[in-house]
Formats: sequence, structure tokens, C-alpha cells
Amino acid sequence: MPPSGVRRAFRLPVSSGQIARDLEDEVAFHVAMRVQALERTGLSHEDAIAEAQRKFGDVQDLRDYCVAIEVPHMQRALFRERMHSAWQDLRFALRQCRRSPSFAFIASLTLALGVGATTAIFSVVDGVILKPLPFNHPEQLVQLWGIDANGRHLHFADPTFDHLLAENHTLSAAAEYNTSDMSFSANGTASRVTAAGVSKEFFRVLDVRPELGRAFAPEDQEKGAPLVVVISHALWIRLFGGSPSVIGTTVKSGQTPITIIGVLPAGVEFPSGADAWYPREPFGENTSYTAHNWNVIARVRDGLTTQAATRDVSMVLRRLHAAVGEATWTFDGTAIPLRDQIIGSVKVLLLLILGASGVLLLIACANVANLLIARMAVRESEIAVRVAIGAGRARIAQQLLIETSLLAAVGCLGGIAIAWAGMRTLLVLRPALIPRVGELSLDWRVLAFAVALSAATAVALALVAAWRGTAGDLRAALSQSQRTQGGGGASYRVRGSLVVVQLAMTVVLLIGAGLLARSFVGLMRIDPGFRTHGMVVAATIFDEPRDSDYVGRRAVYYQQLAERALAIPGVTGVGMSDAPPFSNGSSNGTFLMLDNAGIKPVPSELEALFNDKSRTGYATYRTATGGYFKAMGIPLLAGRVFEATDRAGAPEVAVINAALAHKQWPNGDAIGKVIEFGNIDGDLTPITIVGIVGDTREEDLAADPLPAVYVDFDQRPGNSDQMYVIMAAAREGSTIAAARAAFPQVRADVPIRFLTVEDIIGRSVDSQRFMLLLVGVFGAVALLLATLGVYSVISYLVAQRGREISIRVALGASAPQIVGLVLRQGAVLSIVGAVIGGVAALAATRVLKKLLYQVSTTDPVAFVSVVVVLCGVALVASYLPARRAARFEPMDVLRGG
Amino acid sequence: MPRDASDLLHGTLDVLVLKTLSWGAMHGYAIAEWIERRGDGELVIVDAALYKALHRLEESGSVTSEWGLSDNNRRAKYYSLTTRGRARLRSESETWKRYAIAVGRIIESS
Repeated sequence: MPPSGVRRAFRLPVSSGQIARDLEDEVAFHVAMRVQALERTGLSHEDAIAEAQRKFGDVQDLRDYCVAIEVPHMQRALFRERMHSAWQDLRFALRQCRRSPSFAFIASLTLALGVGATTAIFSVVDGVILKPLPFNHPEQLVQLWGIDANGRHLHFADPTFDHLLAENHTLSAAAEYNTSDMSFSANGTASRVTAAGVSKEFFRVLDVRPELGRAFAPEDQEKGAPLVVVISHALWIRLFGGSPSVIGTTVKSGQTPITIIGVLPAGVEFPSGADAWYPREPFGENTSYTAHNWNVIARVRDGLTTQAATRDVSMVLRRLHAAVGEATWTFDGTAIPLRDQIIGSVKVLLLLILGASGVLLLIACANVANLLIARMAVRESEIAVRVAIGAGRARIAQQLLIETSLLAAVGCLGGIAIAWAGMRTLLVLRPALIPRVGELSLDWRVLAFAVALSAATAVALALVAAWRGTAGDLRAALSQSQRTQGGGGASYRVRGSLVVVQLAMTVVLLIGAGLLARSFVGLMRIDPGFRTHGMVVAATIFDEPRDSDYVGRRAVYYQQLAERALAIPGVTGVGMSDAPPFSNGSSNGTFLMLDNAGIKPVPSELEALFNDKSRTGYATYRTATGGYFKAMGIPLLAGRVFEATDRAGAPEVAVINAALAHKQWPNGDAIGKVIEFGNIDGDLTPITIVGIVGDTREEDLAADPLPAVYVDFDQRPGNSDQMYVIMAAAREGSTIAAARAAFPQVRADVPIRFLTVEDIIGRSVDSQRFMLLLVGVFGAVALLLATLGVYSVISYLVAQRGREISIRVALGASAPQIVGLVLRQGAVLSIVGAVIGGVAALAATRVLKKLLYQVSTTDPVAFVSVVVVLCGVALVASYLPARRAARFEPMDVLRGG
Repeated sequence: MPRDASDLLHGTLDVLVLKTLSWGAMHGYAIAEWIERRGDGELVIVDAALYKALHRLEESGSVTSEWGLSDNNRRAKYYSLTTRGRARLRSESETWKRYAIAVGRIIESS
């Protein structure tokens, strides 16, 4: 009789070879038995063998038959067995999670944070850097630039562009474009729209066709032709509710009628922010070689590289310079792939943030690994038992992999949720820093990234756990677990080093955040020289035909607007300027110092005067009203500002800032001096300086104030249709609401956008704020995780050394001595971590250099405070287990072990 | 004159094997011997066909096998009936009896 009780499943044949071998054994046994029987009947051995084989029949046929029926059977059985064991493992893993829900929760939350942060940032990297631009053959698109004598990029002037168009051999199409804000009155409401004037081949360069209506026809592109416009899909939805009857509709830009002829497909947003495109040709060309008004985009011919285009453009423009000489400032040219042009320096920054989130993920993994190792230590006896009853390493590893996969799967789901929330936040913040931010989405690439990341995490964690779980000596594990339920010293060393690595990485992130924070605080503390709170700006476009009466109508309009503004309760000052606050005026250029205000210079004398360098100066130019300075809170340092008597026809006056006074008239005698600033608007009328006002920082808080000239809006109204009404009012919200109701009563067809000065300044520190926010959040999460890491490893140490501590207590060690003993361990970990992290940070923070203002990348305050905070937190995290250790009842621990 | 097993219907050999195993677990040689002895030498089975039947029955779950030691201490594969095999034996022996009676009637009536 066969031995009973051993199940078939334990000896499942594992291959067809095994099946054949088993069958051979079976046949051999059968034949041998038969031979024995035949020999007993008196046959010779040889005859018996021959007879037995004859009687057996075709062995080969039998073997084929058996393999054919048993191989599928075996495969099914093997598969069932695997699924069964996986199912068992999964149930076991679920049971483990139920048994220690806090572990499962903390571990998957930690993984979710790491995966979520990395996935969110990856979605940005993917959307901005990896995804191709939404055009056909985007690799052929290039931005063209002229290059001046100093190697700086220049925009194109019309003749330069025409020359390039005619002479190049590498571009299949090229087009000029520039953007401006324009008013757009449709259905009775005026809106402000970013519009691009584009030359003939613009849509051919981009290779886009309208989804509705048509693109520009040759008759739209003739000088003086009636204006037509192609609008974006977004604007079509916003203003016209997506109605197809929009084609042929006439809208008004100020008084100018424009016919809508087409709608572009969704997602075409080039140049960035553009909502409308109109042909530039009806406005005529500027024949000056130095009117650098145009951006140029081009498509490289099939099969040619952008390098070839660069060489071609460079050669054409150098030849042009050789031909026309001084008339052009364009010495050379280049072609930059459009993608590089758009992504530019953001690429490095984004990869940097991706790196930071990767570090966070590593910290999270280290934490989970740490928790796992702690659990492995507790489970060492369980695993030792499983190994003892015959589970192989592979089987144990499978069990652990299923456990970590379960954690990672939950972590992955949580991570995707966090990434989604993070991306929503990004879309709301819309940092100007990040181009193409509107294109972001949580698509399959991002999801695949999250899943792959989680899977890699699960495998890495399982490997760590399996290594720790099966590395130990079986007997040691079994006998040791009898006493302490903990791992050996090696386990502490592994966990200690993990915590040190965590702390070091946390230090790097925190120092980065610290540097950015200090720089940001420094920036926000800078006094820009004007009031930043309680300031409302109304941006207006007075878009009307430029006939002889234009300036007069405009003056009346703004006079009435100022009266309305002053009537709003709480408004303490109203002023106007042709450029928004926190911008470098409407233009800048070289002015001329004259001897007296009586003689207006004639153009023929100008060249000689300009050649006398002692007579020229350089300043930004801004048109303002007398109320501007009071409303802006810019202090008057000497003389006076514009007054009602400075009307058109009266002697023209100017106010300058202290920087210009100091630079040009260091003796303090600027008031009364006469200048000529026709360079800006062609008006050569001499202007007398009547006042000096305080310096203001414009555009960039970190930059020094530029010399500035303010001229009177009544005297030199300029030709600009853009005016900014500044209202000083403590309560910004109610002021905006009141103005929004009152201003259209003057004229409803002038589009008005309300801003606050705080918004405008805030936008200038957008990139710093954004980086600070991200690195700060990452740093805070990292600190939290590292704290958990320290806490768990010290708790583990206390549990592991329970017996030793108890003996010390029994021998008379006092509570403070025990606390000190444990704290020393925490201190060692945090100091080692802080030192390693500090050194790493010295190298890593260099990449932040461009974002820092008046803070060195090795700023001692940031370094020292981070180290102090980290050590403090680590000590607090160690103190809790230390106090627990000090309360040990020696007999409990010794007996209970 | 002993008849060759090829004359036996497929299902017949299966029933014979099941019936044999209903006495207890046996290796292939013992099954062959047992059938020959009980059949008074009338039924001679080609051994290969017997093993085909055994493996077929095992695949369909009617019998199960284990390696064990034979009486003379050699490694041998032992077959035994499963619950399913027992049920199949019951139903097929009924069928076989009715079949045999029917065949007998026809032959005698002629």
C-alpha cells in the first residue's frame, strides 16, 4: 500500500519531460514485474524480456498519448495553484493590514504623498516639456531673431523681414506677428481681447485652418482693406456661445467695424494668450530698418534642420547689413526652435522641482521601508516558521511583494487623487512662469507614470523587506524572538542609516525652502517708492479713429472719468498715466538738455546737438496727470507737480525723479532746467523741469530705480489709446464695485479692466512665490515624514533595548539618565543627517541662484536655522520614546520577555 | 481462444479498471494481473492500452495516483479510485450489464 496522507498537489509534475520520465519509470516497473512472473513459468531471462515487451505494446505511442493529455492538465493545475497561493497571500496581506490598520494607513498615506507630489509635477513636466506643441510637424517651427552689434536679440523691422523672405533658401513660410490689447464690442458689451496682427503666411506657418469660416484671403491683405478677424475657439464660446452664425458678424473695436470671418480650432493659442488674429497689411508697412516691431515665426522646409535655417538666416542678415550698412542695427540673425523659445529657462526650473518631488518620494519610500523593517523584525518569527515548514525564499518574497503591492496600490490611488488636486491648484494659480499651463491634463501618460512609479515602489519595498525578512539566521530569529520580539543590531543599523538619509534629504529641501523664503521676504520688504495697498487701477482702451479731434474727445472722456472716480466714497486720490504702475513707463529714450525754453530746436540742428554727449541723457518717459503722484503716494521732493495752469498751450513742464536729478544735475540745480524729448513722440517743444519726486522701483522689485521723466497729460497727450486710472482707496473691493457701476455711465463702449497694484506687484514675484510654495510644501512634508522616521526608529530602539534599559534601571539608573541615553541616539542620527544634508545642500542650492534676491546660496541664517529646527524636531521625536523608556518597570520587562 | 483487448470497446476497459480499483489502490501491473485472473484468461489486455486508460481516467478525475513502494520494495505508481470514479463505476456497470443482456438476447434469439 502506498503511504497515505501526502497530497497530490505537492508533487505536481512541472514539465512534459517530467511526465515522460514518470511514465518510463512506470513502464519499467511493469515490464520488470512481468519478466519476474514469466521467469517463474520457466522462460529464460532473455525470452522473458522479449515476451514482456511484446505484451506491453507500443511504448512510444503510449508516451505521446500521455504527454498530450497531461500537459494541459498540468498547466491548468499549475495556474490554479499559483492563483490560489496569490489569493492566499492577498488574503493574508489584507489580514495583516486589518491587524495593524495604523501601519497600513500611515504607509499608504506616505506613499500617496510621494507618488502624488511626483505625479503632479510630472504632469507639468509632461505638459510643458515632453508633449509636442499642438501643431503639425512642430519640430519645423522656429522663432527668428535679428542680432544687434552687442549680440542681443532684436525684433524684425519690415524691410529686414521682406529681405529675409526674399533671400532665404531654408524656410517654407515665415510670418510677422505682434500682439496688443484691443477692445471688442459685441452684443452690446465691450471686452478687452489680446489680438495678434499677423502677416500673410501666418496660418500657413502654423499649418492651421479655421474650424469654422475661412482664413484671410488676398483681398483682406491689401493696404486699406476693410478689417477682418479670425477668433479663437475660446473667445467664440465666451462671447458668442459657440453659435455658427458668428461668421460674417461685424463687431466694433472702438468705432472701427471688424468682420469675423473664421474661428480657429480649440487649443490653438499662438502667440500665447491671443484670442483674435487680424491681417497686418491693411495698416501699411513701416519702411524704417530700425522700427523693430515684429516677432517672426517660420517653418523650416521639409528635410532641413533648424541649424541649417540658423546658418541661412544668419548669412542673409549679415549680407543685408553689408548692403545697407548703418541704416540697420541688425548685424546677424538666428533661428531658435519654437519649443525651446517657449519653454526656455523654465525647463531647468521644472526639472529642478521634479527632482525635489523625487527626493520627497525617496523620503516617503525610506519611511515605509523603515516601517516595513520594523514589522519584519516583529514578524521574523512568523517568517522563520514559514521557512521552517518549507516555504522557499521566492514564496516568502511573493508574499511580501503582495503586501507591498497592496500598500502601493492604495498609495497609487491616493497619489492620483493628490496629483489631481495639485494640478487643479496649479490651473487656478496659473503661474505666469509656466508656459502652456492651460494645456495640462491628467491624461493616460500621467496615470501610467503614477502606476509605474507605484509598481517600482512596491518592488523596491518588497526587496528591502525580503532581504531583511529572510536574511537572518533562522535559529537566531526563532530563539531571539522568544525573548524580545525584535530584530538584531543589524536591523537597527539599517533603519538608522535610512533615517539619516531621510534627514539629509529633508535638510536639502528645507534649506532650499529657507533660502527662497528669505529671498521672498526680502523682496516683499523692498519699498517700491509708491503705495502698494489700497490702490485700484482701471485699465482702459480709448479705441477711436485717430482723427484731428481724437485727443480732444479723449481728454473730455478721461476728465469725466476722473470726476466719477473722485465721487466714489473712500477714494482719496485719482491720477492717470499712459502706462500701468509698476512698469517702466510707456517708453524710454535719449533726451536733450537745452539752454533755454524760448527756442524750439529745428530737426536739422538735432544731429549736431545729439553728438554732444554732455547735452544728452537717458530716461524712461511717462505721461501723467497732476493727481498721479498724490494718488500713487510718490513724495514730492522739490518744486511742484503739474497744476491746472499747465494746460495745452502754456509753457510745457516736466517732473523728474530723484535718480535722474542726481545723475544729470548732481549739484541739485535740476529745477528750471530745460530738456527736449522729441525722441519719443516727435514733439520737439522744450520742456522745463518744475519738480523732483521720489524714485520708484518699476517692473522688478530687485532692480534699482531708473531715471524717469514725467510729462503732463494735458500738454503732451501722446497718441496712445491705453490709459490707466489710479484710485487710492482703503477698501479695494468696494471701490472696484462702485467704479464698475459708475464708469460705463460715461461711455459704455470703452472696455475697462480693474486691477490692484498688489496684484500687479504680486505677478512680478510669481516665479519666486511659486517656487517657494512648492519647495516649502515639499520641505514641510519631508520634515513630517522624517520626524515620523526618527520617532519610529527610536521607539524601535527602545523596544529592542528594553532588557538592557531595565537592567540599568534595576541597577539604579535615574530617569533622566535613561532619557539622556535614548536622546543621545536621536541626537547622533540628527547630527549626522544634518551634516550630510548641509554638505549636499551646499552643492544643490547653487541651482537656485537665479531665483534668489540678496541672499547667498550659502546663506548661514538659512543653513543654521534649518539645522537647528531639524535637530530640535528630531530630539522631540526621540523624547517621546525616551520618556517611555524611563518609565520601564524592570521586573515587567524582564519577566514579560 | 483469448481475445485481444483491441476487440474490447473503449468504455469496457475503463469499467474493468475502475472495477479492479474498487478493491483498493494498485499499481498498473497488479491491475493487469487482476483482470487477467478474474477474466479466467479470456481477457488479455495489451499493457499500453491499460496505461492509456489509467492516464485517461486520471486526467478526467476518476482515479488519482501516487508514487509508493511495491511489495518487493520497488518504486511504483499506485492508482486509486476517487469519489467521482466510484460514481462512474456504479453508473457504467449498470449500463454495461443492460448492454450485455441486450446483446445476449439478440444472439440467442437468432
